[in-house]
Amino acid sequence: MSWAQAILLARGLSRGWGGICGAALTGATFSQLPPQSPRGLHCSSATHNSDSSLVPRPPEPLRKPAKALAPHEELFRQAPDGARDKASFVRAVQNFGQHNVHKRGHVDFIYLALRKMKEYGVERDLAVYNMLLDIFPKEVFRPRSVFQKIFIHYPRQQECGIAVLEQMENHGLMPNKETEFLLIQIFGRKSYPMLKFVRMQLWFSRFKNINPFPVPRDLPQDPVDLARLGLRHMEPDLSARVTVYQMPSSKDSIGTADPIEPHIVGIQSPDQQAALARHNPARPIFVEGPFSLWLRNKCVYYHILRADLLPPEEREVEEIPEEWNLYYPMQLDLDYGRSGWDDYQFDINEVEEGPIFAMCMAGAHDQATLAKWIQGLQETNPALAQIPVVFRLAASTGELLASSGLEEPSPPPPEEQEEEEDDPQRQRRGQS
Amino acid sequence: MALVHKLLNGTYILRKCPQPSVASCPFLSTRVAGYCSKSLEKPVATPSKGSSQRNTEETLQGHHQREVALDITSPEEKPEVSFDKAITDEIKDHFRRLKDEIVNHWIGPEGRPLQEVLLEQAKVVWQFRGKEDLDKWIVTSDKTIGGRSEVFLKMGKNNQSALLYGTLSSEAPHDGESGRSGYCAMMSKVPRGSFERKRSYDWSQFNTLYLRVRGDGRPWMVNIREDTDIIQRKNQMYSYFMFTRGGPYWQEVKIPFSKFFFSNQGRIRDAQYQLLLDKISSIGFTLADKVDGPFFLEIDFIGVFTDPAHTEEFAYENSPVLNPRLFK
Repeated sequence: MSWAQAILLARGLSRGWGGICGAALTGATFSQLPPQSPRGLHCSSATHNSDSSLVPRPPEPLRKPAKALAPHEELFRQAPDGARDKASFVRAVQNFGQHNVHKRGHVDFIYLALRKMKEYGVERDLAVYNMLLDIFPKEVFRPRSVFQKIFIHYPRQQECGIAVLEQMENHGLMPNKETEFLLIQIFGRKSYPMLKFVRMQLWFSRFKNINPFPVPRDLPQDPVDLARLGLRHMEPDLSARVTVYQMPSSKDSIGTADPIEPHIVGIQSPDQQAALARHNPARPIFVEGPFSLWLRNKCVYYHILRADLLPPEEREVEEIPEEWNLYYPMQLDLDYGRSGWDDYQFDINEVEEGPIFAMCMAGAHDQATLAKWIQGLQETNPALAQIPVVFRLAASTGELLASSGLEEPSPPPPEEQEEEEDDPQRQRRGQS
Repeated sequence: MALVHKLLNGTYILRKCPQPSVASCPFLSTRVAGYCSKSLEKPVATPSKGSSQRNTEETLQGHHQREVALDITSPEEKPEVSFDKAITDEIKDHFRRLKDEIVNHWIGPEGRPLQEVLLEQAKVVWQFRGKEDLDKWIVTSDKTIGGRSEVFLKMGKNNQSALLYGTLSSEAPHDGESGRSGYCAMMSKVPRGSFERKRSYDWSQFNTLYLRVRGDGRPWMVNIREDTDIIQRKNQMYSYFMFTRGGPYWQEVKIPFSKFFFSNQGRIRDAQYQLLLDKISSIGFTLADKVDGPFFLEIDFIGVFTDPAHTEEFAYENSPVLNPRLFK
């Protein structure tokens, strides 16, 4: 406690000294200061530049390059092979602890480390966040008197602690017991980081599993697996079968002159198969797409095989046997039937669209690829041989991109998944 | 004041060409935004920053204008401008609506017999069956604070559903203070009676919100605002999440009102209160899932209904750690 006060006092003195020096050096920018300038002047210029740091800077090496680097940046450059992984990040954090026994500038270091986490790929690692919190000196920032509890005690440090927790929150990480112990040790129970912790614990546990259509956190890298996952995700019928019609050919085996065969993965449920068998061969069916589907932060495109809605005179009403009908009593015609109280139907005609017979995800969105899908479908749906299939594709890619007017007109490579940023709905409207 | 707004709005409709200069008047900003959603494809009018951004915006707007030009009468024809006529028309219209309101009040709530209203178990509140239904909605994005997201609202392909689409961009505006950005939102306008009096929806006999939507797998947030005259409460909302499955099938989303949590200025409050359904002013959908890229959401209709199986009063208990005052 006393040393912290002493440091604060020293900081105030040095800033005052810096103010005097700054007044003396009117017009001279600080970067032009000679590198052999006295140490006090150098430090004061640093604090003068960024008033946001309450904690005094560590003694910076005088061979620092002229352009302003964040303090402690050099700790993150020490990895000899330039490897950016968890091990090197942990090493950098540990190095900070070893070099600074007094933990000088730890707030700056933590902010810097938070910015660097994404680079090192550790932004979803709870242990690393706990390690960052562990940098804070223990028991120093805990309020001891009533007045310290009322007024925010060590506000910069508390803000920094909140920033760590907030980054955890943004990446959906639930803090654990260790985080709680660290926070209590560092800031005490009555502090803002602790409040944030309690809120996170409360709301994260409430909203943890509310997504009825969960997507795994780590998506498969293989496009075929990803397509399988996406199709399963979209299809509500669990008895639907996923078929891989064509595996992607390996690119390196044959020369690049050979056209790469894209993958084709399709899904069809038994009900859809039966509906396709019943379909009137006089009416054409359509291959439409591509439509986008987001799986967390990955966008995949799919195509559908569908028919137009039948005109009302051609629809045959399918009689469901009464014992199959979940709403069985609806067929009964009794006196005590349903009154106005029991009308749970919305008074609206829902949008009706034609039946969908199958879906597929392919590596390329051109007609040749999708024709292969239709060929593959014919093996399980012999009726498809008689039905004319119309390709209503938005992607004869060149014209599509030209019409959007945003992207360059070069046709995308055949195995693209993300290149087409255009809105498929617009394409669909443009085609129909 | 409200009447003046309406009058100005009316004259603009008569003129048939939106004047972006109106955006300079802060009072009219919501009106302008509303008018934008009315004119099909036009994005929210915002001052664009940077020449490159302006370029892309202009190409986009030009593109959409071309699309629009297919099905609207061209703005070339000269509409007659008569300020007096607009004023008299507006006043007549308002008096007609006032008369309707008085007569309807005599019949029953909302002009329907009381028995019918009491027996109602499911009610369609918003539907999208024509272009005039889009006028009840406002779309905004973070362009209003300097971001790069874009959102448009139009009728779907078969003219029977609304299509909300655009691009989300989480690039923060370069204004020196915003650290992050990226949202697109659509919200319903506050219903207005005659002489622009604020009105509200009474859903107190229902307990579940029903949406028939089709999305692309992105999570949305459903926000409900209570009608209030207290200025301190204007940022308070009740929210819950709507997850879309993605794919070509329509999806029925049922959200019990008890699940909505209470937030103020976008932060969840520690003390949670139940959503009171007797005075609902508007509903909104927000997309802000930090994933850059195009999105779409098709909405068939939005309704409320009574789910007899749902008996929960409120889903979130208050924590004694966070608000000890409630437990004294």
